[in-house]
Amino acid sequence: MPSKPHSKDLSDLFSEVTKLRKNSPLKSLQKYMDADPTIVSLGAGLPHPDTFPFVSIGSTVAEAGVSVTDSSVAAKAISVSSKQPTAKIEGLERFLQYGNGRGVPSYTRFVQEHTERVHSPLYEDWDVVVSAGNTDAFTKAIALFYQSGDTLIVDEWTYPAAIETVRPMGIRLEPVKMDSEGMVPSELDHLCTTWDRPETAPRLVYMVPTAQNPTGATMSLARRHDIYSVAQKHNLVIIEDDPYYYLQLGSYKPLAEANDPEDRYKNLPGITSLTPSLLSIDIDGRVIRLDSFSKILAPGLRCGWITAPKYITDKIQFHNETSIQQPAGFSQAIVSKLMNEAWGHVGWEKHLVQTQRQYAERRDMFVDICQSYLKGKVEFTIPTAGMFLWLRVLLNETASKRKGVMGEIFESMLNNHVLLVPGYMFSPLGQTEEVLDKPYMRAAFSYAAESSFEVAISRLAQALEPFTCRNI
Amino acid sequence: MAPNMTTSAACAGDTGAALPPPRDLSDIFVPAMRIHKKSAFKSVMGDPTSTMINMAGGVPHPNTFPILQLQAKVVSPTSRQDKALSPSTANLVLDKSQKNRSTESLDELLQYGAGSGVDSYCDFLKRYTQIVHNPRYADWGVIASCGNTDAIGKAVSLFCEAGDSLLVEKWTFPGALSSLVAAKVQPLAVEMDGEGMDPESLDNICSRWAGPKPLRAMYLVPTGQNPTGATMSLERRQKIYAVACKHNLAIIEDDPYYFLQFAPFSASRSLENAVGAAGLLDVDSGEQQQVDPLVPSLLSLDTEGRVIRLDSFSKILAPNLRCGWITAPSYILDKLQILNESTILQPSGLAQGLISKLLNDTWGLEGWNQHLRNLRATYTFRRNVFVRMVDLHVAGLVDYVLPSAGMFLWMKINLGPDAAEAMPRLLETMKKCGVMMAPGAPFYSSGSSGSNSSSSDCYLRAAFALVDVAMFEPALKRLAQAIVAIRETADYPSAVQNTHTCNVPNAMQKGLLSPAPGKMTISS
Repeated sequence: MPSKPHSKDLSDLFSEVTKLRKNSPLKSLQKYMDADPTIVSLGAGLPHPDTFPFVSIGSTVAEAGVSVTDSSVAAKAISVSSKQPTAKIEGLERFLQYGNGRGVPSYTRFVQEHTERVHSPLYEDWDVVVSAGNTDAFTKAIALFYQSGDTLIVDEWTYPAAIETVRPMGIRLEPVKMDSEGMVPSELDHLCTTWDRPETAPRLVYMVPTAQNPTGATMSLARRHDIYSVAQKHNLVIIEDDPYYYLQLGSYKPLAEANDPEDRYKNLPGITSLTPSLLSIDIDGRVIRLDSFSKILAPGLRCGWITAPKYITDKIQFHNETSIQQPAGFSQAIVSKLMNEAWGHVGWEKHLVQTQRQYAERRDMFVDICQSYLKGKVEFTIPTAGMFLWLRVLLNETASKRKGVMGEIFESMLNNHVLLVPGYMFSPLGQTEEVLDKPYMRAAFSYAAESSFEVAISRLAQALEPFTCRNI
Repeated sequence: MAPNMTTSAACAGDTGAALPPPRDLSDIFVPAMRIHKKSAFKSVMGDPTSTMINMAGGVPHPNTFPILQLQAKVVSPTSRQDKALSPSTANLVLDKSQKNRSTESLDELLQYGAGSGVDSYCDFLKRYTQIVHNPRYADWGVIASCGNTDAIGKAVSLFCEAGDSLLVEKWTFPGALSSLVAAKVQPLAVEMDGEGMDPESLDNICSRWAGPKPLRAMYLVPTGQNPTGATMSLERRQKIYAVACKHNLAIIEDDPYYFLQFAPFSASRSLENAVGAAGLLDVDSGEQQQVDPLVPSLLSLDTEGRVIRLDSFSKILAPNLRCGWITAPSYILDKLQILNESTILQPSGLAQGLISKLLNDTWGLEGWNQHLRNLRATYTFRRNVFVRMVDLHVAGLVDYVLPSAGMFLWMKINLGPDAAEAMPRLLETMKKCGVMMAPGAPFYSSGSSGSNSSSSDCYLRAAFALVDVAMFEPALKRLAQAIVAIRETADYPSAVQNTHTCNVPNAMQKGLLSPAPGKMTISS
C-alpha cells in the first residue's frame, strides 16, 4: 500500500498566541518519571487516587441497535472499577486523575479507530484530540488562527452559538450565500477573489456540511469537492462542524407511498453509505473536523473529538490544558466502555442505524404533515439528514410590503401556542432591519412528541393564515 | 432554565437582617463584557407553557439516549474511630426517566441544559457556600464550572482584555499564567512572604500604577497556595481585602485547597494523633465548632461583592470530574453563564448528577463533612511526616515555608551567585540521585521565560500528596545529597553516580544538616 502524503504546513496561519502555546512545563516532567520508575517524583501536584471516593461506576445500556421506546428494552450492564483495568479500558482511577489535554487513551483510541474506519484520512500525520462538545471545539478551532480584527467566512444562516462566540472576540463574520445544498462555491470563490485588502484576507471558513443548522441543507459529494477546491485555491482552512453527520436519513418518501416501515427504512445509510465528509477528501490537511457525541449518544455527556493534522491537534491539546483540561472522566469512561467493550465498532454502527431510523421516521411524518397543512403557505427543501426544517414563508402581497411583519408572525405563533425559531436569530449580520424581515423560520422535529406534530403544524397554519393566503 | 439564584431574603445571614446589595463593578468590566448580552436565541425558548408545542429546540429526544441507568459505588465516609470496621460502601443510582429523590432524572442530566449547571447540583453548592462562608451581601449565587483552570480564564476575561495587566502573586499557578499569555494580559507580580501576597506591596503597586489602563482585578490562591504552600491568616485576608476596596479591584479567589487545611504541625508520625489534633470544621445545622476552624475565606469577608470565588472538586473528590462552582454577585454570574453558553455549555451532566446525588442524598451534608474531615486528617499526616523528614535531612540546606494547608512545600536553596547556571545542574543531579521536584521557574510571574536570573536563590516545589509516605525519607535524603554535591564539588558529574546511591561528600559528615526547621520569607 503506497504511503500517504504528509499534510501541508499551515502553521504560518496560526495566530500569535497559538505559536506561543506549548507543552506545560510541569506536565513535561512526566517524561523523566516514565523513563526511570525508580525516580521518586515529588513534582506533580496530583492528589492520591486513594482519596477518590468512587470505587466503580456503571451503567445499564441498551443493547446495540435496540430501540429504547420498546416496552422492554434488551440491555446490558457495564462498569468501570477502580484499580481494575481490563485489556482495553483503564481503571476508574485513571479516568478520574489529572491527565493531559489529549484525552484518556482508551477513549481517544476508539475515536481514532472510528475516524479511520469512516473517513480514512488521506494524509498520514492526522491525529485526534478530545473536546467537551462542538461549541467548545469551535472556540478552540477559531483560536488556532484568529485574533481580534480577523474575518470568519460563514454560511448566510448559521449556528447562533458560533455567532455569539466570535463577536466578543472582535472577529468579523462574512456571510456567503447558500442554496438548497448549503454554501455556494462560486459565491465563496467570488468573495475571496474580490477581497480588496490582502492583509485582512479571511483564512478560515466555517460550515456545517450535513443537516446544516438552521437550513437543514446537506452538501452532496460533488458540492463538497467544489467547496474544497475553492478552499485550496485561496488557501483557506475549513472548520467542518459535523454533529449531524451520522443522522443521514436517505430520501423522504410520502407515507402514502410506502407504508411498511421495514420497507421504508431498509436503505438507511448506516456507516457504509454516508456521504463522504470533507475530512475524507482532505488531501492537504486543511480541514479541522469537529465530531460530537451530543446527537448520537447524549448531549449531557459533553464530549466529542477533533480531527486534524497532528501539529494542529497538539496546539488544541495545549489549549485544553489551560482551559477545560479534558471532558469529564465519567463521560469518557462510560463512552469508552460502551464503545470499546460493550458495543464495539459493530455495535456502535448498529446504534447509529437505529438512531437514523428514529430520525427518519420523524422526518417522514413531519414532512407529510407540513406538506398537507402548509401547502401554499410555505416552501421548504426536504432534509435528507438531521433534525431541522427551514421554512420560507410565502407572504402575500400586502404582508410582504410591511416592515416588521415577521415580528407579527412570531407573535401570532405564540398566540397559537406553537414555537419555532425566527430566521433572524441565525443571521451573522445581527438583527438589522433587513434581516428581521427575512421570511424564514426553523422547525425542529427531534424533540416534540410525534403525536403532537399534527396539532403543532395545524396551529402554525392558523398562525400564518392572515399573512399568506392570497388576497382575492 | 433560570440560573440558580435565590433571593437575598432566603440567604440572609444569622441575624435575619436584610443584607446590602453588592457594589456594581460593571464600571470595571472590559468594554466587550459590558455589551455582552444574554443569548437572544435562548430567550426564544422562554418558558414554554404546557400548551406550547416546542418545535424550536434543536435537541434530541431522550428516546435516543441509550443510557438507561447510571450507578456508582462510593466509599461511605466513617470517622477514624470506626476504623475497626472494614470500610463500607454505598450505591447510588440515577434512573432514566424518574426524578431521583433530590436529583434530576438521568434523561434530564443527559439533555442540553442551561449554562448555569444542573439545578440540584447548584442548589446544594449554594446551601453549602451559605453554611461555610455566609456571604455578607445580597444577590449572590453559584454556577457550575468545569474546574478552576477554565474558571480562571473566564473570570479574568470579565476584567482584563488584551494589553491589560492582572495583579498576581509573584509565584503562582502556571495554568493561570498560560491563560494570561493566551489572552495577552500581562501578569503584574506582587511580593509575597510566608503568608502569601503582601498587602503593602499590593498597595504600593496600585498607588504607583501609571499604565495606560487602570488595574481592575487581582488573582490569588489564599490557602495552600500553589506553589509556595502559604496560607493567609485572617488578618492578612482582611488587609488584602481593604487594599482591594481602596483601589476598586475585583478579587479572583482561587481556592481549590481550602478544605485541605491542616491541624497544627506535630512531629508525631501517627495518623491517630493527626486526627485527634485535627478538630476541623464540624458543621451541623450551620454551627461551626471552633476546635480548629477553617481560616475564613475572602468571600466571607466580602461586604462589597468584589470576590469571585472559584471552588473545585478536583482535590476534594477527584480531578477529572471536571466539576467545580463559582460564587459571585448574580449580575456577574449572568455574564459567566453567557460565557459558558458559548464555550463548554456546562460541565458533564453525568458528573454533576453523580455529585449531586452523592452530596444531596447518599452522603448528605454529614457524610460530606466527614469525608472532608478524613481528607484533612490524611493530608495533615502527610504534611507531618514530610516536614519531619525535611527537618531531619535537608533543614540546613534549605529554607522552607511550613504549610498549613494543601499539598505543597516550597524550598529556597542558596546555590551561590549564579543561580540561573546552577539550577539546571541541581535538577540534573537530583535526577541522577533519583528524585524530582518542580523547579520554581514555571511558577514565576515576572520573567518572560520565568527565570529569576537576578536572584541567587533557587526554588523547588515538593508535592507530598501522591507519593507513598514511605518514600518521603529516601526522596529527601537524595535531595540533600544532590544539593551538597552541587555546592561542594566543583567537578560534580564525577561525584554523582546514576545509581541512586550518591557519594556522600565530606560536607554531610561535617554535620551541616541541622534538625532545626528554617522559617523563611519568600522575597528576592
